[in-house]
Amino acid sequence: MIKIRFIGFLLLMLCMGVSSFGQSQSVRGVVSSEGEPVPGALVLVKGTQRGTVTDIDGNYSIDAAPGEILVVSFVGYTTKEVAVVGGQTEINVTLDLSTSDLSEVVVVGYGSQIKKEVTGAIQSVSGKDLQDMPVSSVAQKLQGRLAGVQINQTTGKPGQGMNVRIRGQLSVSGGSQPLYVVDGFPISGDVNSINPDEIQDITVLKDAASTSLYGSRAANGVVMITTKKGVKGQTNVNLNVFTGFQQVPEQGRLEMMNAEEFAQFKKEYYTDAGQPVPEAFQNPAEYRDKNNDWYDAMLQTAPITSYNLTVTSNKERVNTAVIAGIFDQKGVVVNSDYKRYSMRMNTDYAISDKVNIGINLAPNYVVDNTPRTDGTRGTGILFNALHTWPVMPIYDESGELTYFNRFPANTGNIFAYPNWVRSAEEITNETKVFNILGNTYAEWKPIKGLSFKTTFNTEIRNSNYFWFNPSTATANINVAIPTVAVSIRDQEQELTWLNENTVTYGKTVGDHSFQLLAGFSNQQFRRDRTRIQADTYADDRLPTIQGALNINRGGTFSGVDEWTLTSIFSRATYNYKGKYLLTGSIRSDGSSRFGSDNRWGVFPSVSAGWVLSDEEFLKTNSSISFAKLRGSYGITGNNNIGNYTQYALVNNTINVAFGNNVAPGAAVTSLNNSNLGWETTAQFDLGLDLGLWDDRLSFVYDFYTKNTTNLLYAVQIPQESGFTNFNDNIGEIKFWGHEFAVNAIAVNTSNFRWNVNANISFNRNEVISLADGIDRVYGTYHITQVGQPFGQFYGMVKEGNYMNAEDLANSPIIPGRSTVGSIKLKDVNGDGVITYGGDNDDRAIIGNPFPDFVYGFVNNFTFKNWDASITASGSQGNQLYMRHLYSTANLDGVFNMVRKAIDRFRSPEDPGEGIFGTTVGGGNVTGVERDWNNSNFVWDASYFTIRNITVGYTFRNLPKTIQSARLYASGQNMWVFTKYWGGSNPEVSMQNDGNGDGGNLSPGVDLSAYPVPRTITFGANITF
Amino acid sequence: MAASLFLTGCEDFLTVVPETQLSSATFFKTQTDFEQAVNAAYAPLRTITNDRAWLLGEMHSDNTYYARNPLFGAVDPQEDLADFSILVSNGTAPNTHILNQWRQDYLIIARANQVLALIDDVEFDATAKGNIKGQALFLRAYAYFELARYFGSVPLHLTPVAVRSESALPLSPEADVYAQIISDLTAAIPILLDKSAQQPGRATSGSARTLLANVYINQKKWSEAEQVLSPVVTGGKYMLMPTYDLAFSENATNKNNVESVFEVQFLEGAAGLQGNFMYQFMPRPISATELQPIMGTSNPQNIDGEGNNIPTPDIIAAYEPGDLRKDVSIGNVFLSGSARSNKNYPYIKKFQSNHSQHNNHGINWPVYRYAEVLLFMAEVLNEQGKTTEAATYLNQVRSRAGLAATTATGQAGLREAIFKERRVELAFENKRWFDIQRTGRIDEIIIPYGQRIVANPVAYYYPEGAVPRPNVFTNLSKFYPYPADESNLSPYF
Repeated sequence: MIKIRFIGFLLLMLCMGVSSFGQSQSVRGVVSSEGEPVPGALVLVKGTQRGTVTDIDGNYSIDAAPGEILVVSFVGYTTKEVAVVGGQTEINVTLDLSTSDLSEVVVVGYGSQIKKEVTGAIQSVSGKDLQDMPVSSVAQKLQGRLAGVQINQTTGKPGQGMNVRIRGQLSVSGGSQPLYVVDGFPISGDVNSINPDEIQDITVLKDAASTSLYGSRAANGVVMITTKKGVKGQTNVNLNVFTGFQQVPEQGRLEMMNAEEFAQFKKEYYTDAGQPVPEAFQNPAEYRDKNNDWYDAMLQTAPITSYNLTVTSNKERVNTAVIAGIFDQKGVVVNSDYKRYSMRMNTDYAISDKVNIGINLAPNYVVDNTPRTDGTRGTGILFNALHTWPVMPIYDESGELTYFNRFPANTGNIFAYPNWVRSAEEITNETKVFNILGNTYAEWKPIKGLSFKTTFNTEIRNSNYFWFNPSTATANINVAIPTVAVSIRDQEQELTWLNENTVTYGKTVGDHSFQLLAGFSNQQFRRDRTRIQADTYADDRLPTIQGALNINRGGTFSGVDEWTLTSIFSRATYNYKGKYLLTGSIRSDGSSRFGSDNRWGVFPSVSAGWVLSDEEFLKTNSSISFAKLRGSYGITGNNNIGNYTQYALVNNTINVAFGNNVAPGAAVTSLNNSNLGWETTAQFDLGLDLGLWDDRLSFVYDFYTKNTTNLLYAVQIPQESGFTNFNDNIGEIKFWGHEFAVNAIAVNTSNFRWNVNANISFNRNEVISLADGIDRVYGTYHITQVGQPFGQFYGMVKEGNYMNAEDLANSPIIPGRSTVGSIKLKDVNGDGVITYGGDNDDRAIIGNPFPDFVYGFVNNFTFKNWDASITASGSQGNQLYMRHLYSTANLDGVFNMVRKAIDRFRSPEDPGEGIFGTTVGGGNVTGVERDWNNSNFVWDASYFTIRNITVGYTFRNLPKTIQSARLYASGQNMWVFTKYWGGSNPEVSMQNDGNGDGGNLSPGVDLSAYPVPRTITFGANITF
Repeated sequence: MAASLFLTGCEDFLTVVPETQLSSATFFKTQTDFEQAVNAAYAPLRTITNDRAWLLGEMHSDNTYYARNPLFGAVDPQEDLADFSILVSNGTAPNTHILNQWRQDYLIIARANQVLALIDDVEFDATAKGNIKGQALFLRAYAYFELARYFGSVPLHLTPVAVRSESALPLSPEADVYAQIISDLTAAIPILLDKSAQQPGRATSGSARTLLANVYINQKKWSEAEQVLSPVVTGGKYMLMPTYDLAFSENATNKNNVESVFEVQFLEGAAGLQGNFMYQFMPRPISATELQPIMGTSNPQNIDGEGNNIPTPDIIAAYEPGDLRKDVSIGNVFLSGSARSNKNYPYIKKFQSNHSQHNNHGINWPVYRYAEVLLFMAEVLNEQGKTTEAATYLNQVRSRAGLAATTATGQAGLREAIFKERRVELAFENKRWFDIQRTGRIDEIIIPYGQRIVANPVAYYYPEGAVPRPNVFTNLSKFYPYPADESNLSPYF
């Protein structure tokens, strides 16, 4: 349930006045619920402008004439109407806890709205519901909770790798992550660095009507985060502590050959090729008790601890919340950890009845230390460890970590391996980030219903990255030790400021209510960056810059990134009797990123709602307690197109030598486009909110369709032009989908309550067009093609292996490369030969990284003092590109291999399982299977994950100083159910360099990223 | 304050230009800008000569081959070049080396076009301007000449591309490409400085003349070639270095020496202008201890993979007895890690020079040497029937190599002698394929060469038991197929 009581209270205060009425008498009383007073409850005389609010003890006093009706309401309670009887001066009202949250207030862009009157597609989650989960970031906590929002954890690196996608939004090259708005401030930094305990609630804005007030940044959806405030009249002190451990379950890891199996494979490799078996592999059994599980050696059981102290006080004129947190997570890969020290101070001060000011200040400091675990072969330590021969010793005879491993050349050991545990332990890869997020505002309410507000927000981010590779270690294969010691220092300083000025006016005249908003804002972002790369250190113990013999020119540079945004915006909301709802909004953004001939974008939206349940024909229906139809249409933009993309840049470091001198060289390296603009998304949404049996069962359904046009794309152009691409707005992608969310109070007795919250979403997309003359864009393993969904896996279609000489003779082959037992590919273009490359080769779409549907559910139970919750989420029908197979199933025996390769093709009589082909013939034969993208890499990655199980017990009736104490145990990522066998994380999606979510054009690639651990913690939540 | 900012300062506030990079709006305004622009047009030559030209021009001939390492995959692109086994589909092939050669040549062309399109709008010293224009014309012609020899008909871009629709052009017939090359070089010769006035390493009028002569020779325009080349021979700016080994840049003081007509400039060190082609030419796997005596570095490292550009038995046999160039050009190295029973491999030694850091050397790449000018002269004279005169030029080259005057007689005899002389004098300088190509001797030379490899793979560095792929020597086309990736983007091919 959403409890923004304070804000709701404020809003209600704004929207109505307190006035007296001539012939009435004074009525007073206490509003209570379950024996406790309800402060802040609204008491209105029905049909009038008269109203008041209860004080801290629930007291109210109001003028009302006999026969008039008092309407008493408060967020979270069922509204009650009481008639005033003549002569009665004291009316005590008991409110019942509402099973429905319709009267609650939700945060929307530039304000808040009563949920019942919302006409857009939005969903909220209370911070309280998330607090038990032992993870570092808010996105992790939201997994599975939001309909239409797919959240994947692409890597287990502490503090990293959360990929959030609202309604499947994609862009070719612009960003796809939603806009995060913290206390009204669209932030530029990383939302995951915010301490989740600071969060009061989160609202996700999904359709254009909800988001369009964020204009050119709204197309990917908006996530509104509101931080904590005090409860009116109360002072609360809360301590929340948990500690526990994380580990990577054995189950689900990629199964690699052990030492004996590998030696056996090598023996068979040489035998099958008719070559002498190297001495090292003549007797595989000798490795029986000498296995070296390099991957396992990288892992550890790691502690995780979090402390949060929250103090809130809302008394008199001051409302303060202070949250201090320490989060300390060691990683499950050796030498990785993540620490966050955070503080937030939120203060509102009412200078007078008409003037409020406020300041939020949230500094935090994050230290993130992770070896370069993720990435492709050679650069990602985990990938390297996976495919290192298990016959190579991790420890020497004295139990020390080895330095270096190499078998004789005749064993096919073409790469030398350092000890990866040393790589992880000795290489520093640390980022220290200092953030301050600050919001200040002043608000003036000269007359009833009118408010002027000005805000000034800043975000300062200072990031220090330090990499030091000492001469004794390397993260790469085939680098001799000692190597050249290298240091990288990368320092970034960011400053964002935003000034917003708004005026709102709300008035109710009879049955007509309206609210107007208008405003303008300016925002600026600047990042200064300095990177210094130095190498050749005299002494590994002294990695200072001056300790290096050489500064690497190419790796040493400074940079500036800057953008500005100026906006004007307005919104009008109207409703008639609270059942016919209409909202229109418009925003105009001018951005420095847009070309000089296309500087301003306009983003309008309209939405309407009809509360059917307020109509006579439904009022009498006993089952339907609430029904609302919603519809919206609007246009939003995506301005993540790069800061200087419109300009033709001259690179003046294309230097040349003449004789022994360096001469500076300069060339135009990109083409300018003064018409460059934002990506435009037009979205239509139709929704139904339904409450049954006094809202015991509530149901939300949304259908949406979106068309994204003017996609920013660096259109590839022939390089005969001297350029690789032209930045342009092109093409069209259509998205559509259905979202269902259900909330049911399955059991509601005084002792036992069971609440189920479930959602399922179906998101689809299709590329309608790309640029003129371009109907496809190739990725490394993907294609984006007109008429198809975005980013599909693309490659050869495997039909099996050539089973025998006859099969080979009667099938299309790759001239010079196909043999009996080698991979048999489909002749897609029917030209009789198998070719790879070019537009008319034999490649086809071989898989889809997008799911058919994603779903999630949350079960909450309370039984007397016990509570429990189970959160789960899943994804069905998505596939992954098991890219690491190009090494982990390299049939040349150069690397360790997946265990499945034991059952490969060996002869027509022993054709194996059919997944892997013959080893005979060397790279010329095996290279096809390995180096040509093909369907053998594509595997189903549907999954169902029990995200969290929490069990708690609350102690009441404690000594006076402690209001309540709750102890709980929580398990995160408890079980993953999947058929995917390529690694433990079916949500993985990585670029070759180990960064990001794989990029829009190349999602769903498995390069063996940092595993996502199972976490078990025990916690205490004590309120004083 | 905010309101006034909004009302008055909007456009200023919204104009944010890149601070750390120049943009085209502010560049191309001064002489220095154009000097830098023409400098950048030289830059792709490093990539071309370090990484590609030897694959397309030398290993794609009977001079060099790869040393097969069956354990090492993803080597088809270079093997296909050496094996004449490029699989062509619709006139295109996805060979990465062909693709990159194409792209680097067009990068030179685009940068030269940028200079040529804008330089006349800016006023500065006429000699300096002429020298810049001349270099741009020379470089554009050089790039088109490479393209014409590799591909025949190619798109002819002569102005900078400004919008997307101009980025692809139809293929211009080979003859039109040659006409443009001739026109560019003819224009460049009078405005370029000569070797004595030009900064060492830049194109000179002598470079342009030699290039134009080469272009004419390719078209068998013998008298035009003679006419344009004569001043190079008679001008007194060039002579042969006293010994063959000194012709190559070898050390810092020997760069752009008196024999050098045009060479691609590399610089050892951390400036990012170094080469590493000597490493690319090493047979593999080679250990640090085996590599150190050859490179002389303080930090030798093991190199794995498959070695390329290994001298064939054919080129080794092509040296006449007593030819001093043989030992200068080809060395021998013992690879303990080799999978062959004979672990001795020849390697290209002529560019050898000591340097300090592994994989980082500053040897220049010779594009035109005076020795080739002399052989060009010999050829153009012989082809015009001036056989005796021709022999004197040939003998100058032979004499330095410690060889007696040619015994060849008659036009045909001398033609063959010059052809053979070019092979050994210019061995490993990426001339061999073009010589075979322009003389129409592909089938005559390459077919038997392929048969020798198939008959005796061990002699061509295959490990015992390994055999050439079944499709070797199946594509003996004069031109390379167009790069598939470019074909994908162009509507014209």
